[in-house]
Amino acid sequence: MKLKTYEDMNLLELDVMKEISSIGTSHAATALSKLLQKEIRITIPEVNILGYEEAVDKIGYIEELVTATLVRMSNEVNGLMLFIFKLDLANAVLEKLIGRRYDSFEELDELAYSALEEIGNIIICSYVNAFTQLVGVEIDLSVPSSTVNMLGGVLTVPMAEYGYVTDKLMYINAEFIMGGEKLSDGLLMLPDIESLNSILEKLGVS
Amino acid sequence: MTDKELKVGIGDMKFARGDSRIITYALGSCIGITFYDPAIKLGGLLHIMLPNRVDPNDPKVFKYADSGIKETIRKLSAFGMLKSRTIVKIAGGAKMFEMKGSGSSDFGNIGQRNAAMVKKVLMEERMRISAEDTGGAYARTMLINVANGDVVIRTVGKPEKHL
Repeated sequence: MKLKTYEDMNLLELDVMKEISSIGTSHAATALSKLLQKEIRITIPEVNILGYEEAVDKIGYIEELVTATLVRMSNEVNGLMLFIFKLDLANAVLEKLIGRRYDSFEELDELAYSALEEIGNIIICSYVNAFTQLVGVEIDLSVPSSTVNMLGGVLTVPMAEYGYVTDKLMYINAEFIMGGEKLSDGLLMLPDIESLNSILEKLGVS
Repeated sequence: MTDKELKVGIGDMKFARGDSRIITYALGSCIGITFYDPAIKLGGLLHIMLPNRVDPNDPKVFKYADSGIKETIRKLSAFGMLKSRTIVKIAGGAKMFEMKGSGSSDFGNIGQRNAAMVKKVLMEERMRISAEDTGGAYARTMLINVANGDVVIRTVGKPEKHL
């Protein structure tokens, strides 16, 4: 059966997405671990299909300042990948990378901002790479684009992009455990519905 | 009426009379539109996400600029609003991500398209926009105090702005 929106996915299909996400996330963690030269463990990701307000509540609060990196997917899968840094994860990364912590994203200088954009990009790319190998599709990725903005505002971007098709977002949430600290990441993988159908078809579940 | 704060979600509209405040958080590419009739202290706040309703059977009228504005005017008019007295202010329509590279020029312009549609529909309705804070690359929280029609815009790292 062809899906019309994300929430049409049945338990089996969601399980498959979870499995793919688990592999994708572990690739991303490996890449991050190499870069930071630090052991990083991850928890098994949850895949949630959420409405806008649920997604905001799950990640943080609506006016919370976050740094987000966005990459567009094209070719055999079209859609968006969005990685959201909350301050604790950003600081853990920046401390290791440039030796500084920040009290707020408002203080972020050019160097820290570029570092976060690059990390976001690496996480997204390694995630997508794992995904392409597993599913057997070709995906081209755009140059990353980042913003420091209110969480609620950031999440309206995918909402508006797919607003004519669905009111839901697919949120993949894993915890990175770095030096005993549990850090929550926020990765949103948003293939368009046609692509999601072809992914599930390729994996033989739909 | 008691002093209270109403929250407007994405693609929704709320209105009130008297001592109330209506707020919508973190408008990104979305647009917040306040309607205020000072003679009867009636105020509404609409939060639209997309320019036009394509499917006429889509029940989410407030999600789109065209159907949202028309429905808001219809509702508020039923409560005594007169278009000629009403003060309209808009905020939002930001471009949250600047996409580089070819083939992405259209992406991220939804804020601009939303703003253009809001202005077009309001003009067709013969309602003048008395103040606006649109564009840019940052999210805005918009609040209207229905007791006096004051509209406040909150953004990160900047002082509050009264429209």
